[in-house]
Amino acid sequence: AGKTPTLGGGFHVNLGKESRAQTLQNGRRHIHHLGSQLQLNQHCLDTAFNFFKMAVSKHLTRGRKMAHVIAACLYLVCRTEGTPHMLLDLSDLLQVNVYVLGKTFLLLARELCINAPAIDPCLYIPRFAHLLEFGEKNHEVSMTALRLLQRMKRDWMHTGRRPSGLCGAALLVAARMHDFRRTVKEVISVVKVCESTLRKRLTEFEDTPTSQLTIDEFMKIDLEEECDPPSYTAGQRKLRMKQLEQVLSKKLEEVEGEISSYQDAIEIELENSRPKAKGALANLSKDGSVEDTASSLLGEEDVEDEELEAAASHMNQDFYRELLGGGSGSAEAAENPEGGGRALALESLLGPLPTAASLGISDSIRECISAPGRDPEDTSGDGELDLSGIDDLEIDRYILNESEARVKAELWMRENAEYLQEQREKEARIAKEKELGIYKEHKPKKSCKRREPIQASTAGEAIEKMLEQKKISSKINYSVLRDLNSKGGGSPQREGTRPAERASSRRLSRRRTPASRNGADPGACVGKRLRPLVSTQTAKKAAMGEAVLPSPPALGAELVRPAAVLVESGPVSYHPEEDADEEEADEEDGEPCVSALQMLGGNGTLLGPPQSSVFCLGWYTVHSHVPPAHRPMQQQLPVWAQAHPHTHCTHVSSSTSIRSAVCRVHSQAHRPCRLFCPLATVLGALLGLEASGVGSLVISLGLGLLPG
Amino acid sequence: MTPMTPLSECSGIVPQIQNIVSTVNLACRLDLKKIALHAKNAEYNPKRFAAVIMRIREPRTTALIFSSGKMVCTGAKSEEQSRLAARKYARVVQKLGFPARFLDFKIQNMVGSCDVRFSIRLEGLVLTHQQFSSYEPELFPGLIYRMVKPRIVLLIFVSGKVVLTGKF
Repeated sequence: AGKTPTLGGGFHVNLGKESRAQTLQNGRRHIHHLGSQLQLNQHCLDTAFNFFKMAVSKHLTRGRKMAHVIAACLYLVCRTEGTPHMLLDLSDLLQVNVYVLGKTFLLLARELCINAPAIDPCLYIPRFAHLLEFGEKNHEVSMTALRLLQRMKRDWMHTGRRPSGLCGAALLVAARMHDFRRTVKEVISVVKVCESTLRKRLTEFEDTPTSQLTIDEFMKIDLEEECDPPSYTAGQRKLRMKQLEQVLSKKLEEVEGEISSYQDAIEIELENSRPKAKGALANLSKDGSVEDTASSLLGEEDVEDEELEAAASHMNQDFYRELLGGGSGSAEAAENPEGGGRALALESLLGPLPTAASLGISDSIRECISAPGRDPEDTSGDGELDLSGIDDLEIDRYILNESEARVKAELWMRENAEYLQEQREKEARIAKEKELGIYKEHKPKKSCKRREPIQASTAGEAIEKMLEQKKISSKINYSVLRDLNSKGGGSPQREGTRPAERASSRRLSRRRTPASRNGADPGACVGKRLRPLVSTQTAKKAAMGEAVLPSPPALGAELVRPAAVLVESGPVSYHPEEDADEEEADEEDGEPCVSALQMLGGNGTLLGPPQSSVFCLGWYTVHSHVPPAHRPMQQQLPVWAQAHPHTHCTHVSSSTSIRSAVCRVHSQAHRPCRLFCPLATVLGALLGLEASGVGSLVISLGLGLLPG
Repeated sequence: MTPMTPLSECSGIVPQIQNIVSTVNLACRLDLKKIALHAKNAEYNPKRFAAVIMRIREPRTTALIFSSGKMVCTGAKSEEQSRLAARKYARVVQKLGFPARFLDFKIQNMVGSCDVRFSIRLEGLVLTHQQFSSYEPELFPGLIYRMVKPRIVLLIFVSGKVVLTGKF
């Protein structure tokens, strides 16, 4: 399942299987929970679980919300078993968009190659009839409704429609037939369709011939003929309308054509009756006559020569344009506006030829027309923009001139003022950070290289080695760190590197993966994650260790002693990409959880005077889903608990005092501060959700700590 | 089992192409703000989408122009029109002062529709062509048929209308 194997490490060997088992267990629990709400029997739930197992083995759960996959499995079972459950019901329960569920369901069905038979609306009748409370006549009404539904099916009303809508219509009519006054509103509340849908179904049913039968006739007779689906009839009607319109417009055109030919004839007559002009005008009239004959010739030919006609008239348009007072010319020009690009190309080819048709070279011209069209396709790989066929004037029309551009710029600036402001701030921030030398570019995620475990004999050595290895922030007071050893005395060795990501943390985080991945409820998380960080005897483990933060001056008065330490273990993996190092040295391989008490007790040393110790309860892993390729990002936030010596109960406090104190300590390294910010929310969530769990945990610890 | 080609090829039904989507690389970085402010037919809303939306009237198409120089052209009704439209957009960009080229013009997707003039029983179709069809009346009124060869997806409706779409 994508976990990298370790050579000789064996750390993760068990973990892979555990993770899968966890997932399946979780899935099973969810399936049962959801399935019981739907009142599915055990067999169905087992089948659903089988589907889920198949889905997990095909990695279909990756990148998808577990709830969606569970719902899809359940719905698949419903379909194969033929239970009257709709996708809408599941979507209601989960409060998820039905189309999102549908997408997951379709994918699941396709991947598992399971063919869910099409839904038969008859399946839903008993369920809806029961909800509509027909009392004793339930059976009769259901039978009538079923019969109606059969009739609807034969009339092709059910294809492509939601089965619930049809059921609603059938039940409504059946109820009325048996003298039950069920209103439309009641029916739609049961059936979960819109009122307009129901009305539409009723109207469609009305259009069928069966609706004309009386109730008795309907129960006895079954009409032979079957109707077409309503959408088909509607489509056909639209088609007919369109055809009619086309015919009409063609007729109009023909009439217009006749009129224009009369117009031409009249104009010719007028021309002839005018006094003969000299020079250009004489040419004009001659060409005009030629053009007229040509156009009449062309007009008789079919559509293929239309372009020639256009070209010819366009050519003549040019002649006309040269002359002023070309009254008839402008009329001609107006008639044939489609000269366009084609005509331009033609002009270059044809030159000042009178007409193509009269010269009998229409075929070759047609070839030439198609040739320039073909050239763009032969553009070689040099990528130069082929400008043929593009009218520069047209392109220029798309570009604004100076004043227009200014106006548009002003408007645009006003529109996007906020966005520009944000951009400027962002750039200022980046520039400032660059100056301070801590600018971090957000590079795409890369997996970190593995680091070797630090072998050191004393804690101090381990610290030094680690500092060498890692790039630690400049904000840490290293001298203080080195002093820790002396202070700590017999207490387990700690390290005080704040922002470092350490093997143990990573390891711990790894441990948490299986549980966390299943999205278990936070309370459970806390319970499992109880791992106070107290490291153990070996130096190696120290290397992985924990951070001990010098507390004394920083902490508030109520938190005590110099010796009292704030323990906080391996922090937050800020770099989620580090596909962490399955590091070696490890403590309890087999045990997933060790209670805080055990850890504390095992060492024989308490973290400090029992009076008040603040210790880390454990880690709450914040889990965020990333696409299947990446590991889920883990952020570990410590859950703090403060044990009061004077009261027998402890209380978990997201107390600002602790937070502020800790923050002050960590203020040098800015990253940890952020760590504690969501603490309140995290705790709030924890408390809200699993108050009992945390409380009991805390209490047990507190009690254990108070030596009495 | 693949659907058989009917014995008589011409049923007289020819799908009409409704839309063609194509892409082309203009091979130069573009300043979207400049393009948007100097072109009449361009809109640019950086908050919403990081591209300039430009439209031309002939052929009636829309283009999305990205700052990397890549461009998507949609709305044409034929391959030739799509190419012509893409070239026109490139020309506009050139005229605005960028050294635009015209590399790798490729048609990405085509959508066509037709009417078979008779009603289709979708439940029957899903029974006989299970491996290819997907029919969920609760989700969508049409049947989605994924043909393997040629690689086309058809949306078949009960009224006889069919929408075909395919990627190259």
